[in-house]
Amino acid sequence: MNKETARSLFMDYLYDELEPDQRNELEQFLSQNPGLKKELEELSNVRSMLSHLPVQDPAEQLVMVEPHKSGLQEWWNELIGGLLPQNGFARTGFAMASLLAVFVVIGAFTKLNITVDDGSFNLAFGEKQEIIQQGFTPQQVEMLLQQVREDNAIMISDAIQQAQQQQENRIEKTLVNFADYIEQQRQSDLQMITSGLYNMEETYYDRFRQTDQVLGELIQTVSTGN
Amino acid sequence: MNSGQHEHMEDAQLVQDFRGGNHQAFNTLVTRWQDRIHHFAYRFFASSDDAAEITQKTFIKAYHKLDTLDDVNKFGSWLYTIANNLCLDELKRAGRKRATSYEALKIAPQTETATPADGTVLRNEGLVLLHKALLQLPVEQRVVVIMKEYEGLTFREIAEILDEPENTVKSRLYYGLSALKKTFDSWNINKEVFDYE
Repeated sequence: MNKETARSLFMDYLYDELEPDQRNELEQFLSQNPGLKKELEELSNVRSMLSHLPVQDPAEQLVMVEPHKSGLQEWWNELIGGLLPQNGFARTGFAMASLLAVFVVIGAFTKLNITVDDGSFNLAFGEKQEIIQQGFTPQQVEMLLQQVREDNAIMISDAIQQAQQQQENRIEKTLVNFADYIEQQRQSDLQMITSGLYNMEETYYDRFRQTDQVLGELIQTVSTGN
Repeated sequence: MNSGQHEHMEDAQLVQDFRGGNHQAFNTLVTRWQDRIHHFAYRFFASSDDAAEITQKTFIKAYHKLDTLDDVNKFGSWLYTIANNLCLDELKRAGRKRATSYEALKIAPQTETATPADGTVLRNEGLVLLHKALLQLPVEQRVVVIMKEYEGLTFREIAEILDEPENTVKSRLYYGLSALKKTFDSWNINKEVFDYE
């Protein structure tokens, strides 16, 4: 045991919640560590002082008043409470028996008829009547199926046509957009070429004038020299 | 079943009876637990008005929520949980300013005016300061000190009530008692002050 372990047992020791073995071990350790023992004694003194703290009792006794119930409801609850068994299991059994009794009485009044044959369960009220088979003949079923197939074929054909139309429209729109783009690009290129030629012409003209001027000066210089 | 028969019944049985529609069973529980809850709240706030209010609210809440109690054998812990939560709610609602306005502390300490021979005066002042020191503790330490020191709950019960590990509870108690010791030392209060009767 070390000091930290001993400290961790202080509260259990002070409030007598320590196992006898641990208690002995702690006391033995404390006898060899007077500082720790003093610490525990100080905490014990604090406990002793806290025990003097006075307390006040409540001024009055609280009473929970049962919520008011209407006379009829109270009578009904008492009746039910008196009739029903208190045990939960017995209550469930009582409820099931009551349900069964109600079912039998209603069945008797309504001439309930329950039959089970050929894997089918039939529940009927009143006189039993022969079950009349109603439904479609195989020919009618075949006609109906044919009708459904035709409707489906028309519907699918319409859908395909519609999809094709949409696709064509989309392609046409894309081509128009592409043609517009090419035209714009062509115009832009033409403008650029025109502008380039104009610039070249201007440059050529400037250089031509500069050459004339230099030649003129040269001729003049040569003439003056002679 | 009359209230006389209820008095000898366990809490768990009374809870079951109340759930079965026996209203009187709850009043027996109130009678049995009212003092303890009142004392807990009184030590928490040092105010009998607050204690009465918390006690009342605790039982009203318990009355309405008793169906939600999972383990009927833990009615006491469950009741303390409600009371503790209500105390914390009240503390939040009223703010920290209430920490200095307790009726138990209305008598100002008069250490400098009392003569050492006047043991009764010193003792009364000591009791006031005792409560003041308790109220100065951080709430989580104060609750643990009250539950352990005055309500006599086990560490396991306190851990359940506060929904904290047992070691946390012990640690809070250790620091709470250590803090109280420092406070008592700084106020020159010792065991001898309380030996006057």
